[in-house]
Amino acid sequence: MDYLYLVLNYSVLIVKVIKMQEIKIYKTIDLTGQSCAGPLGELIGVMDEIVKGEAVEVIVDPRSDTKDKLLEWVKNKGYKIVSNREESGRMIVVIGK
Amino acid sequence: MKKIIVAGGGIGGTIVANRLTKMLSDQVENSEVEITVLERNETHIYQPGQLLIPFGLTDRHELIRREREILDYRIKLLSGKKGEIKKIDPQNNSVITSDERVHSYDYLIIATGSHLNWEEVPGYNAVYSPWDMDSSMKLREAINQFNGGKIVVNVAKLPHKCPVAPLEVTLMLDDYLRRRGIRDKTEIFYTYPIQGVFGIKSANDLMIKIFESRGINIISPFNVTRVDESNKTIESQEGEKVRFDLAIGVPPHTGAKVIGDSGIGDRRNWVPTDKYALKMKNFSNVYVIGDTTDIPISKAGSTADFESYIIATNIANEILGNKPVKVYDGSVFCYIATGLDSGTYIRFNYNNPPIPPPPSYVHWWGKLLYNKLYWTVTAKAIV
Repeated sequence: MDYLYLVLNYSVLIVKVIKMQEIKIYKTIDLTGQSCAGPLGELIGVMDEIVKGEAVEVIVDPRSDTKDKLLEWVKNKGYKIVSNREESGRMIVVIGK
Repeated sequence: MKKIIVAGGGIGGTIVANRLTKMLSDQVENSEVEITVLERNETHIYQPGQLLIPFGLTDRHELIRREREILDYRIKLLSGKKGEIKKIDPQNNSVITSDERVHSYDYLIIATGSHLNWEEVPGYNAVYSPWDMDSSMKLREAINQFNGGKIVVNVAKLPHKCPVAPLEVTLMLDDYLRRRGIRDKTEIFYTYPIQGVFGIKSANDLMIKIFESRGINIISPFNVTRVDESNKTIESQEGEKVRFDLAIGVPPHTGAKVIGDSGIGDRRNWVPTDKYALKMKNFSNVYVIGDTTDIPISKAGSTADFESYIIATNIANEILGNKPVKVYDGSVFCYIATGLDSGTYIRFNYNNPPIPPPPSYVHWWGKLLYNKLYWTVTAKAIV
């Protein structure tokens, strides 16, 4: 039973990795600075442009409230977080449809 | 001889060409450097001024000059077919114009700007827009004949040029209707693609307070899908449908068509640009200025003005054998009209958010002065 459970989990992981490899990053947007459109305003138009198999990579400051707003917005729009990692004090989120 | 080409003679292209000529004055005089501006149009429009037309605060003739009169006499200007850019080819350091001439360069500054794409939203042609000179003139007549009803102010997509201008047109409209004594017969609806009325928190908070005190309705997020001219309604992805008697809006913006034709932009024809160096990504001798870039910063005249210092200084340094030393810190300065005789402003950069002061007559006066000084000071890169 344990063996089956392990195989199943590995299979799910492998499928996830393959799917991630298939996703192409259309654009990377640095949302760490101030801009008139605001972080979501900068992102919203770019998300409209992506096609199947593509995603947008965004860079945010994990200490700012942008991170929470972004995650909430992704959920509300029905988009999905493809990956989410921290690198050199910045949060890098890949968002797909 | 070093050749510098400025592709586009709008606000950004004109200021950076004039600033470069000042910085390399001796080299231009001695024919060691040649600066050429390529611009299809012979006239130059100060677009931020179009916002004041509907309220009778300025007129078309005050906002248009001949490009040749604004540029330093030592700059070579090619206009018409000779200045219409057909292709930008950074791989081969050249720009091709509609007269089939190939212009080679040592440095290129892409300043092709942003453009209105009315067709992107079905029915948007029924909306008046101060972002277009002719439409702004028609809006003046429409407002003049307006005697009460529902007015919708809409922003179709972000980003667009003059990001604070939708706030300004709404608040000036409110003041105008009060002065005409018909505000109590009018409902104003402000519709915006993201939550709130503006993207930066400090300015958004102040503006929401002002909107509430003036009785202006906010519907956001509101991402327009169509405008129905016959039924006079505007609809959104979010399922809202708002009826109007008069609609004022910002059509969707894209970068110039030539960017797409040249295969050097993203899908909306913005040019991928390093946000600090202002260089086109992967090309060390190509700079990008103003609305043309894809960087997450305001598409505004002041942005182009700030950027022109960095680009001109770095190109001049390279030509003079020095290291390019300046980086763009995201500086922006915008006046915000809050009525027909009051205003505030936002001044910020990537790392420091704006702290808009309380609206006052002084800032309104500053806005008008800034507009007036454009032709003699800003465009000519005097400061």
